[in-house]
Amino acid sequence: MKARWWAACAAVVALLAAGHAQAADKIKIGVLKLVSSGPIFIAQEKGYFAAEGLDAELVYFEAAQPISVAAVSGDIDVGITGLTAGFYNLAGKGALKIVAAQSREEKGYHLNAYLASPAAYEAGLKSFKDFRGKSVAITQTGSTFHYSLGLLAEKYKFPLSENRLVALQSLPNMVSALKGNQVEALVIPATIAVPMIERGEAKLLGWVGDETPWQLGASFATPKTIAERRTLVTRYVSAYRKAAKDFYEAFLQMGPDGNPKNGPEAGALLAILSKFTGQTAENIRPGIPFVDPEARLLVDDIYHQVEWYQSQGLVDKAVEAKAIVDLSFVSGHFNVPK
Amino acid sequence: MSDPGVPPSPARRTVPFRGGGFAPQSRSWISWATLVVVLGAWQGAVSGGLVSPIFLPSPWTILLALKSLIVSGELWRHLAASLSRIGLGWALGTMAGIVVGVMMGLFTSFRSGGIPMVSALYPIPKIALLPLFILWFGIGETPKIVTIGFGVFFATVIATFTGVDGVPRSLIRMGQSFGMPMFGIVRKILLPGALPGILAGFRISASTALLLVVSAEMVGAQLGIGSFVLSAGNLMQTDQLLAGVAVLSVLGLMIGLLLSRLEKWLLRWR
Repeated sequence: MKARWWAACAAVVALLAAGHAQAADKIKIGVLKLVSSGPIFIAQEKGYFAAEGLDAELVYFEAAQPISVAAVSGDIDVGITGLTAGFYNLAGKGALKIVAAQSREEKGYHLNAYLASPAAYEAGLKSFKDFRGKSVAITQTGSTFHYSLGLLAEKYKFPLSENRLVALQSLPNMVSALKGNQVEALVIPATIAVPMIERGEAKLLGWVGDETPWQLGASFATPKTIAERRTLVTRYVSAYRKAAKDFYEAFLQMGPDGNPKNGPEAGALLAILSKFTGQTAENIRPGIPFVDPEARLLVDDIYHQVEWYQSQGLVDKAVEAKAIVDLSFVSGHFNVPK
Repeated sequence: MSDPGVPPSPARRTVPFRGGGFAPQSRSWISWATLVVVLGAWQGAVSGGLVSPIFLPSPWTILLALKSLIVSGELWRHLAASLSRIGLGWALGTMAGIVVGVMMGLFTSFRSGGIPMVSALYPIPKIALLPLFILWFGIGETPKIVTIGFGVFFATVIATFTGVDGVPRSLIRMGQSFGMPMFGIVRKILLPGALPGILAGFRISASTALLLVVSAEMVGAQLGIGSFVLSAGNLMQTDQLLAGVAVLSVLGLMIGLLLSRLEKWLLRWR
């Protein structure tokens, strides 16, 4: 009788212990509902986070900035979004570290376009050589669009200070300004650019990726999370890379015609992206950004971003690029400065 | 048996003086002391490590940011740009608002048509209309002045209309019985009578103009205290952000003082 009672107790304890060991660690991931964070949605849907023992909760945001703020305040564990001057100012105060790559501008992939208004095109804005002194709509000072223009100015050797950069806060405002001939050009995501070109509302000057490849986005966490819950970040990166590989094989391999071709899994993955972003599959396909299958960063570009923003007076001089990247989670990062 | 209609005569007793209180006064040393205590506690919380400076910069760092803005001369250029927008937008909105408000106070047709229009249009968030404003007015100075002017206009209409409505009708009837012409009644009775209400409306509309300068300068402004605050927020330069907000507060205080002077001067007949 007594022995049976003990056995039952032991069984209950063992069960509890097993249950405890199997309970997944919670991780909150801050993300925008954009295709550039596609691998996050794929990892969630295909159970890659769960396979790493993570109970991932996706926290959706409307803009990039609040994601970094939420990471600092501890409302999310990991954030993934575009890199802006605001991010570097926050990270530079020792608040955030980049741990892996997100999307990047890459030759042959159409993520953001430079468009000219038909009137400006007629008046002679036909290529980047005519870009000097033109007015250009952007969302905000220190945004990814602003940096793309900075790289363009470096490549075509025109002084960006002579361009009138008009900060209009939102993409619809930018489209309005171009349609009303208030600005001569703008930089805008492919999902908006392609329909505008087809309707004859704008002329394509070129793609950011073809002109100036650069590291557009990244995953980041606070130094505290990295130090105290390192395995959480390791498992997050590993699940992300698994999904990034799927993403790459489905959408990003170059076909013989110089355009990215669909892999066998493209249809299934498009359905996942469509479900999470709320956009139709046809709308998503032309603007799928390049995502490194191993989540490797263009490290030299991150250093350059910090320097460029500092030269524009948008990032504090005390910010050091070396201090805000943690390269230990992914091997084989590109162009690591000595 | 006592008669219920007659209250029992109370025994004579001395009643202590119960007056006093309920008469708050303004003591300037208390105002300053409050300010000093709040700022001191804030500075102490940040310096003592209770609050991370990433979330709340200390008053001292805000002061330093303000100082560098003043030294570089940036502050004056931002202020000049904003003040000209606020001034012009407020003046236009106020003039149009007073005219429409008086008409609504005087005429049945204006009142019947105006009240639903004001109620329908006043609460529209101007930011939601920004893409349309860009198409209609472009991205120059016009949309910024229009944005401020619109907000000011509605606040003034409401204040003027209520002010005119509040003028005692007996005064108007008296003017009529003395044979005053319509214009004379408006100029000598209605407007002076409505003036306190209109001036109270100025306080609200001036604050509205300051509130709206930030949304007005969301679109394509290179200079201006509103665009400065916005871009500091975008760049996560929280000390600069709060320095800009402090400038807006001081501006609000100064406009308040100016209006008090104006009130005293215009209402000296009371």
